[in-house]
Amino acid sequence: MRLIPLLLLVLTSLTVSAHPVSYKDALGIMSYNDTQMNEILLTYSLNYNYAIGHTYIREKNSEFYIPRVNWLAKRWNNEDSQGNLYLSAGSGVEKYNNTTSNVRLAEVVADWESRKYYTYLEHLYMLRDNKDNPLWQQRDDNHTKLRLGFAPFLADYNDLNIWLITQWTQHNTENIEATQFMRFYMKNVLWEVGADFDGGFAFNFMIHI
Amino acid sequence: MKRIILITLLSAVTAFAKSANLDVKPQPPVVEAKSEAVLPQELKVGVKGMVCAFCAQGIEKNFLKQPEVSKVEVSLENKYVKLNFKEGKTLAKDKIASILKEAGYESVFGE
Repeated sequence: MRLIPLLLLVLTSLTVSAHPVSYKDALGIMSYNDTQMNEILLTYSLNYNYAIGHTYIREKNSEFYIPRVNWLAKRWNNEDSQGNLYLSAGSGVEKYNNTTSNVRLAEVVADWESRKYYTYLEHLYMLRDNKDNPLWQQRDDNHTKLRLGFAPFLADYNDLNIWLITQWTQHNTENIEATQFMRFYMKNVLWEVGADFDGGFAFNFMIHI
Repeated sequence: MKRIILITLLSAVTAFAKSANLDVKPQPPVVEAKSEAVLPQELKVGVKGMVCAFCAQGIEKNFLKQPEVSKVEVSLENKYVKLNFKEGKTLAKDKIASILKEAGYESVFGE
């Protein structure tokens, strides 16, 4: 139920972006949602290698509001593929019940994709001052995400692109979770629907303007 | 006798002059006109790293911001962007390369 306002926010937002940094003046939103957490990232790219943004995360009864800076540290433009290395840092607040505490964020994202294959590795580290949440008392918080995908057929810019992606995530020392996604995108709109082996679901949405 | 020699010389000179004239190729008139190069109506530019629709969308958007450009066509399959220019307008290769660089990509121009 808590997903509905988030979806409405995403669908009525003006913008979204698939990468932490996009082209100059691009506005973007990325939204990642599963049964345990919701995340929305808003970005504005100052140029092709720097963007400012804001992350909102809701997980285990805590809400995070974290302004951030994203940096495209390195891009490899190849004939048939592209690779990127992004670094991000931010500082904001965590809200739990009526308490507010500080939180810092650091993130590394590496991706490589061609028209046929897709790989993505992300590590998100949050340093939380809040220890009051009984569900989540860890001060050092680590999320790792690995994604591998392929396109069953090659589609061009104006066609509907379909990808099959498997995602593995690990939160701190918890078990690794695998989720199978189908990704659809066309021009500047991308959406993914996924399901894991325990009956959980996931929905991601991105758009560029 | 003098008259015969004079007529012969005149005839020879005239004949020589005529034959010399035949060897001269006609030259176009020298006109100091301002030469105007014909501007291409469209241009295809190769793009390195353009592998997804999101990449292509950024490139398309950046080129459509240019007042010289009337239409942009992107092909992921052929890895190029085709620019159509407004009449009498064009974009220099340096400018095109700079726009692609601002979007995060590398340009490849054909010979």
